[in-house]
Amino acid sequence: MSGASTIEKKGSHRERAAALKETRPYSPCRAACPVNTDVQAYVGFIAQGRYNEAFEVIHSVNPIASVCSMICHHPCERACRRCGVDEPLAVRPLKRFALEQSTEYRRNKRHLIEKTKGKSVAVIGSGPSGLTSANDLADLGYQVTIYERHPVLGGMLAAAIPPYRLPREALKEDIDDVVSKGIEVRTGVEIGKDISLDEITSKHDAVLIAIGLSLSRSLNIPGVEGPGVLLAIPFLEDVAFDRKPDLGKKVLVIGGGNVAMDVARSARRLGVKEVEMVCLEGADEMPAWKWEVEEAVEEGITISHRWGPKAVRREDGRVKGLEVVKVLSVFDAERRFSPTFDNANTKLIEADTIIITIGQMSNISFLKDSKVKVDERGRVQWDPKTQMSSAPGVFVSGEVVTGPGSAIAAAASGHRSAMAIHLYLQGEQIEGSLPTYEKEKIADMPATVAEKIAREPRMKILHLEPEKRCNTFEAFEYGYDEEAALKEAGRCRGCGGGAVVDKNKCMACLTCQRICPYGAPVVTAWSEIRPEYCQACGLCAPECPGGAISMVSYDVREFRETLPAIVGSVDPNRKEPVIVAFLCTHHLGTAGFNLPDHVRKVPVHCTSRIDTNDLLKAFECGADGVAVVRCPGSSCKYKGIENRVAARVGQAKKLIGMLGMEAGRIELLTTDAESGSPYTAVCAGFADRIKQLGLRSK
Amino acid sequence: MIVGSQKSIDELWEMTKDFKKVLVFGCNTCVAICHAGGEKEAETIATLLRMRAAQEGKAMEVDFTSVMRHCEPEYFEPVLEDLKKYDLILSTACGVGVNFLSDRTGNIPVYPGINTSFYGAVEAPGVFVELCAGCGNCILHLTGGICPIARCSKTLMNGPCGGTNKGKCEISKDVDCAWYLIVERMKKLGTLEKLAEVQPPRNWSTSRDGGPRRVSLEHIRAFEEQEAGKSDPAGGKK
Repeated sequence: MSGASTIEKKGSHRERAAALKETRPYSPCRAACPVNTDVQAYVGFIAQGRYNEAFEVIHSVNPIASVCSMICHHPCERACRRCGVDEPLAVRPLKRFALEQSTEYRRNKRHLIEKTKGKSVAVIGSGPSGLTSANDLADLGYQVTIYERHPVLGGMLAAAIPPYRLPREALKEDIDDVVSKGIEVRTGVEIGKDISLDEITSKHDAVLIAIGLSLSRSLNIPGVEGPGVLLAIPFLEDVAFDRKPDLGKKVLVIGGGNVAMDVARSARRLGVKEVEMVCLEGADEMPAWKWEVEEAVEEGITISHRWGPKAVRREDGRVKGLEVVKVLSVFDAERRFSPTFDNANTKLIEADTIIITIGQMSNISFLKDSKVKVDERGRVQWDPKTQMSSAPGVFVSGEVVTGPGSAIAAAASGHRSAMAIHLYLQGEQIEGSLPTYEKEKIADMPATVAEKIAREPRMKILHLEPEKRCNTFEAFEYGYDEEAALKEAGRCRGCGGGAVVDKNKCMACLTCQRICPYGAPVVTAWSEIRPEYCQACGLCAPECPGGAISMVSYDVREFRETLPAIVGSVDPNRKEPVIVAFLCTHHLGTAGFNLPDHVRKVPVHCTSRIDTNDLLKAFECGADGVAVVRCPGSSCKYKGIENRVAARVGQAKKLIGMLGMEAGRIELLTTDAESGSPYTAVCAGFADRIKQLGLRSK
Repeated sequence: MIVGSQKSIDELWEMTKDFKKVLVFGCNTCVAICHAGGEKEAETIATLLRMRAAQEGKAMEVDFTSVMRHCEPEYFEPVLEDLKKYDLILSTACGVGVNFLSDRTGNIPVYPGINTSFYGAVEAPGVFVELCAGCGNCILHLTGGICPIARCSKTLMNGPCGGTNKGKCEISKDVDCAWYLIVERMKKLGTLEKLAEVQPPRNWSTSRDGGPRRVSLEHIRAFEEQEAGKSDPAGGKK
């Protein structure tokens, strides 16, 4: 029996659409995310003002959502298909906005999870990977104990990432979520010192080692030993725990990666006026993110490229500077790191303090004499297919085994380990059963489609001015306000949320192929809607005579299922008419919807998705009038929808006329784009006209 | 394809008003293509009937669903038991579907949800034109591919008649004269002289005059009957 019919009721339309989405290629943003966060889905919810639902989408795969909303390196943005049009969607700032808006909802949701499994798991380390595993295992009903050597949870997030980048309140929200599930927290406990691995192993049914990379690598150069030369992680720990080291007047940071940026920018915030970085790489070779470099330069930090450290020069034991040697090349022909130097070309860079930031490693000394084997290069031996170490029941995750990477990649590893531990404790096979995040993605946007898409600049992210932010460890990035967030969310092209054809209903009638402004459908034996062309406008679905087309996200038929709840009960003695207003959310202003209660709001991604049957349904639910409020044609994010929508409204007028109702009870209106509250006046005017027509008795 | 058109809600209401539980049953092939009776239209009709019932103060449950075709049993048999839960099936298939289904729903009536109009083509989106009358004896090769049976108002075999007027038929200035079209087409094809040959009166027994028609394909039936024989307990293995 057909999926949309009223006689089959297998789950909500939303659930069916979500299942359908999993069978389709992922949007590139989602495929690029290490945990496959469904960006398109949550950005869609933001655009509709449904922030709590946006939170649910994010949080369902990412327990360190607030952390990521501040510091994620957002591979989603680089993958965004809008790159082929103008600029990528500002995904991370939108995530931050959604999380900030849903804080109360999130806090109210926290609750203890019953420990149904009767088994306990120790998680050593509480960085992104350990927290994620602890979260998942608690969800599965295990008793989880986290061991953390620092006085607070969070691993490097709490102990190394400077607070100007990751405000601790954001981290706290994520940690509180996890801890509220009933996790035992043992902070200030260092394995191998305060408690042995053997003891932990004997106390728990499984152990996860998620200790990350907590030791800084040093340099083997003359003069490196002694005061005035610091290592990155201890320095950042001092910053994180508010122990202000004396750095002198000038600091030189060795390294060109992201941790080097944290170190340099933190030194600047400790009041050091002159901070210089020296790295082997040229400006375009640096491993640090481009934006980190730009922000550091704005803060007055200078960078000396293509110099390698040769010796620390000292005078009376105190650091005088770093002797550096010119770099000829950093990589060999195979792009392997293999620097060469011009030994004849050296110079001295003066400094009072030198901070070495050339990489990290794990502190695995506690594994000595344990069953967990370490290879000849000092790496923990493990099987990536099972996340298990050489010791049965001892698992590993995150950077201790994967090497340096992003927080979200560590979280992905944490998900895998949690599932591995669960399968192990249930006596099930692990190999082949762990989540994978490599997914087929939608191809690049064809040029014929890209040229039809209106250019809309990305909403700017504002920062505290460089001179002000250098004096504080407070967050330097301002989040979006609602107006900016909604505008930015409106830029999403909805990749992966578009039209899908049910082959059991499609009779290859060509309607969709005739209608689509982007040439997405190709009809042969049935219609195939090519996802790389589809812009998820939704124009086709309401026109499909067989009801064969669904929109993967916020489908047309979803309105019809939710309309009875949106309209609610209609008071027979009401004074004001009940208006159902379908509102295009593309040009929502700061005032939000700002509509009185008798106007029942149905935010829509675009009015192109509204079916004649939706308009009828609104009346069936008791509306006195139905308004379709679209954005001005010139600013519509889609092509060629205006006349289609007008035709549907015209058809609905005719149909209600068959029931003796006035055609004026349905109107197609346009938002007042200039106004701060674009829906208020148009809806009020419509409500007045409906009042003139009178309230419906039935 | 078969083209249908919608009935007024008043007519549908008169048909359905005495039933408590009605299923509007869409047909997702020909009548869907002409936007008369596919799933979308079935939903529209169901909604309108529910609203009308509410206006009339009648308690009536109206659902909708669809299958690909009502004219082949394999399509609707899987849902036949579901269909029988209703007091009335309002089929939005063509008359073929309504008839066919009606023979197979036991004591549940099947009523027509649309009017079956003609065999036609999609001239443009939303425009459907009659081009064939299903007379059972095709002569399109004689008339430049333009059918005088379906398209000439008088069904003339030797036209045009005196009512042709600047390419239009005397019945309406909006109706093309089929014989004018035939002449113009055959000029283009260089076969105009064929029209000099007078066509004898037609044998209408292949059309409606011979009663309900039936086509039975021997080669397919022979196989099917053999298979049916196999499943007969007396006929050997299943």
